Amino acid sequence: MNHSEKKMHGEDPRDKALCRRAFLKAGAGAAALAALGPGGGLVRNVFGKAAGKGKVLILGIDGMDPHLTGVWMKQGLLPSFAKLASRGSFKRLMTSTPPQSPVAWSNFITGMNPGGHGIFDFMHRDPKTYLPVFSASATEEAQKTIRLGDTILPIKGGTVKNLRQGRAFWQILEDHGVPATIFKIPSNYPPVPSKQRTFAGLNTPDLVGTYGTFNYYTNEPAEINEDIGGGRIHTAYVIGNRVDAKLPGPVNTFKADRPESEIDFRVYLDPAAAVAKIAFPDREIVLKEREWSPWIQVRFPLIPTQSVSGITRLYLKEVRPNFKLYIAPINIDPADAALPLSTPESYASELAKKFGPFYTKGLPADTAALDNGLLDEEEFLAQDNQVLEESRAILDYELNRFDAGVLFYYISNLDQRQHMFWRLLDPKHPAHDQALAGAFGNVIEKTYREADEILAQSLAKIDKDTSVIVMSDHGFNPYYRSFNLNTWLLAEGYHKFKNPFKKVELDIGFPSTDWSKTKAYGLGFNGLFINQSGREAEGAVAPGAETDALVREIAAKLEAFRDPDTGEQVILRAGVSGDIYSGDHVAEAPEITLEFNRGYRISFQSPLGRIPRDIVENNTAKWSGDHMGAAEVTQGVVLSDRPIKAESPALYDLTATILQAFGIERPEKMVGKPVF
Amino acid sequence: MGVLNAVLGAVFDAFFAPLASLGPWPGMIAVSVITGILMLLIFKKTSNQEGIRRAKNQIKARLLEIRLFKNDTGRTFKALGAILAANVRYMGHALRPMLVMIIPVLLILAQLNLRFGSASLPPGGQAVVKLTLADGVGAMKTPIVLRAEQGLTVETPPVRIEEEGEVDWRIRGDIPGRRLLTFDIGGTTVEKIVSVGQTQPAKVPTLRTRSFLDLVLYPGEKPLPKGSPAAAVEVIHPSQRLPLFGGGVHWLVAFFVLSLAAGFALKGVFKVEI
Repeated sequence: MNHSEKKMHGEDPRDKALCRRAFLKAGAGAAALAALGPGGGLVRNVFGKAAGKGKVLILGIDGMDPHLTGVWMKQGLLPSFAKLASRGSFKRLMTSTPPQSPVAWSNFITGMNPGGHGIFDFMHRDPKTYLPVFSASATEEAQKTIRLGDTILPIKGGTVKNLRQGRAFWQILEDHGVPATIFKIPSNYPPVPSKQRTFAGLNTPDLVGTYGTFNYYTNEPAEINEDIGGGRIHTAYVIGNRVDAKLPGPVNTFKADRPESEIDFRVYLDPAAAVAKIAFPDREIVLKEREWSPWIQVRFPLIPTQSVSGITRLYLKEVRPNFKLYIAPINIDPADAALPLSTPESYASELAKKFGPFYTKGLPADTAALDNGLLDEEEFLAQDNQVLEESRAILDYELNRFDAGVLFYYISNLDQRQHMFWRLLDPKHPAHDQALAGAFGNVIEKTYREADEILAQSLAKIDKDTSVIVMSDHGFNPYYRSFNLNTWLLAEGYHKFKNPFKKVELDIGFPSTDWSKTKAYGLGFNGLFINQSGREAEGAVAPGAETDALVREIAAKLEAFRDPDTGEQVILRAGVSGDIYSGDHVAEAPEITLEFNRGYRISFQSPLGRIPRDIVENNTAKWSGDHMGAAEVTQGVVLSDRPIKAESPALYDLTATILQAFGIERPEKMVGKPVF
Repeated sequence: MGVLNAVLGAVFDAFFAPLASLGPWPGMIAVSVITGILMLLIFKKTSNQEGIRRAKNQIKARLLEIRLFKNDTGRTFKALGAILAANVRYMGHALRPMLVMIIPVLLILAQLNLRFGSASLPPGGQAVVKLTLADGVGAMKTPIVLRAEQGLTVETPPVRIEEEGEVDWRIRGDIPGRRLLTFDIGGTTVEKIVSVGQTQPAKVPTLRTRSFLDLVLYPGEKPLPKGSPAAAVEVIHPSQRLPLFGGGVHWLVAFFVLSLAAGFALKGVFKVEI
């Protein structure tokens, strides 16, 4: 099929890419520089020492699955996990609904369910525009400015705000004089105010304000497609043995027309050998073909007195016959952070001084580049291995100085690799490739073993007064089949197009929808919203009894829906917000949260409002494992060196358990209960 | 110039040697204070001390006039004009010592830059080596080989850039010490020192050249011989700063602050009118 045919059949590679990263790229745009201007502030002291000698070490391993852990523990592949389990417990840990990482980790951070902390999805929606917005953070640009010609000078600096509600457990520990170091916990960007050492994790943007936008320069026509999720592809013109190119940076908010900042760079290719020199204004590097560069700092000039710097790595994929250069998303430089990364602010620069540059972007692995075939499996793993190496080095440093309170340490690799390599573990997956499976079919198992080594590294460093908890936010499922929620709503008559003969809408933002006749729409990875009058811009359903009846009707139909090809139930439960959530923010939740059966997930198209032809279709993407299922089929794990008494522990119970370890009473709004 | 660099280098080596084990600051402070005194003495000997004194007194008098006659606008403007003229005379008196001082200060700065400007390659650290060829020596037609002695590794083949007359490699420092790169350029040998794993104030020569200005500014190595097929050889070391309160300060800032502070503090002792 050619490109347009693929697009018509919903198999456009760009569709695959329209997952969370595409949304972020489309929606975030200019955020990065809004927080520039007067910033900095004085370096604060790290929080003081706790009374008492008890310590708690928590390893947060994103996506660690209880089934796989159990199987490989039995096979003796995970000796450290087995050792910990034999001393205490190994149990399934009930995840959040939905089991998306920002939601699940917010449950853990606050000890509340989404109705309490207000994070229901990677993305929320603006009812006035029907467009997605970030759920985790919001950027407010400078409110007071002076304009001099086309230059805008901020008088009062902009801010970035963490939208998660409720207090984080380390803030409560701080109230009671218990020190904590919280490294890269998700859903903590920007880091909430604290004197504790904290470093932002998942949701931390790159320098251009997205969750990660790589740049790829090539002269291979087949690869030149400038509209992919999570990255930008640039046409490279090799003239003689030279390539002149530009690296795009953040939007320049110092200029009235807000142009994209950029820096010029030049690549010199040796006429014969597969080697090149890449010259940036402040730095030159020499790379051989298929070689990664170390971190390099790139500085984007904004106005004569202002610039912003970030860090990136380059990969010279090919010199000849085609030129291919990959530049990783530009991370915020921890040594010179343009956006808030840590509390105290000096913590980021302290680590940078000790370790040099390191990944600061929320999820460092470049899954988009692998998904789009711009990095292959080996190249992806080479990059992700560096993430792991950096992470282990910093963990070692923190373990060496862990003398009181709580140390939480987050590891992202297992989640990212299960997303991308499940297809090679599972012969039933539509994207399974036997040849690739031979080389990379053991990547997930190997990553579990690496996690086991990290636990061993940690156990070797701690003393007898330290309690150990290993936990994950959710488990993993295969992602075989995609469900197009908005297509289903259209088929069931809950969603209407202006043109009744139109069947497909592949643009985002519902441009063809007749809102006056539309009763419901899907936005986000698990959310269904009623088009409610008085709340939505063009609401068509009255709040109260009419909405309630409609919600029950749709929920029943969703649960009754069967995959036309397999006969399987697609949605195990259509959770009605009032039934599944409690707390001050229930009203902000989607009316229905889709809890998928194992093997199913929302499609790549539906979360942004695209409406392809088929209701259910095969997932042939490399993004092949996922965790959008019902909580009971997507449970995480908890391992502890103490026996867990709770029958069915949940994420928010661990929060209460941490407070209990230091004799701190649970806050009134915390729903979790101690597990010991 | 090469001889002068060699002599100065030996003097500075002898000066820094007993202080090297104490870290970078003692040497920097000592050089700055001595330079401050040296500048004071040059200033005293080469400036019109009486003229400077007279110009300063005139400025003071005119400032007093402005204060006393602040309601008389015409007189205030006249006094301002006189202050401006006195300032010009003052600068004129300072011009000659400045011209005299510029050469020794430049030579001192070059020696300090050699020791404090660039960081030695950390063991395992990488650097780009840039060979600029002399006019008429083609990057493509001339066989060029780079060899490294033990302690250094040449990690890449050369990148030959014909239009720039340049060849680049990437090297890695392995074992601390002063290591040698040897370029064979069509049968002619050129050497370049690379500093690995050395701490301030060790000499970190970055550029070896035959241009006169570069010889003044980069005195770390002998100039390239006349007729050499290489016009310059550069190893791009990371820049470094003097450690200060957990952060860092550029050596040039430290030098000027310290030398000026020493000069102002000791001007009474040496009876110098500045």
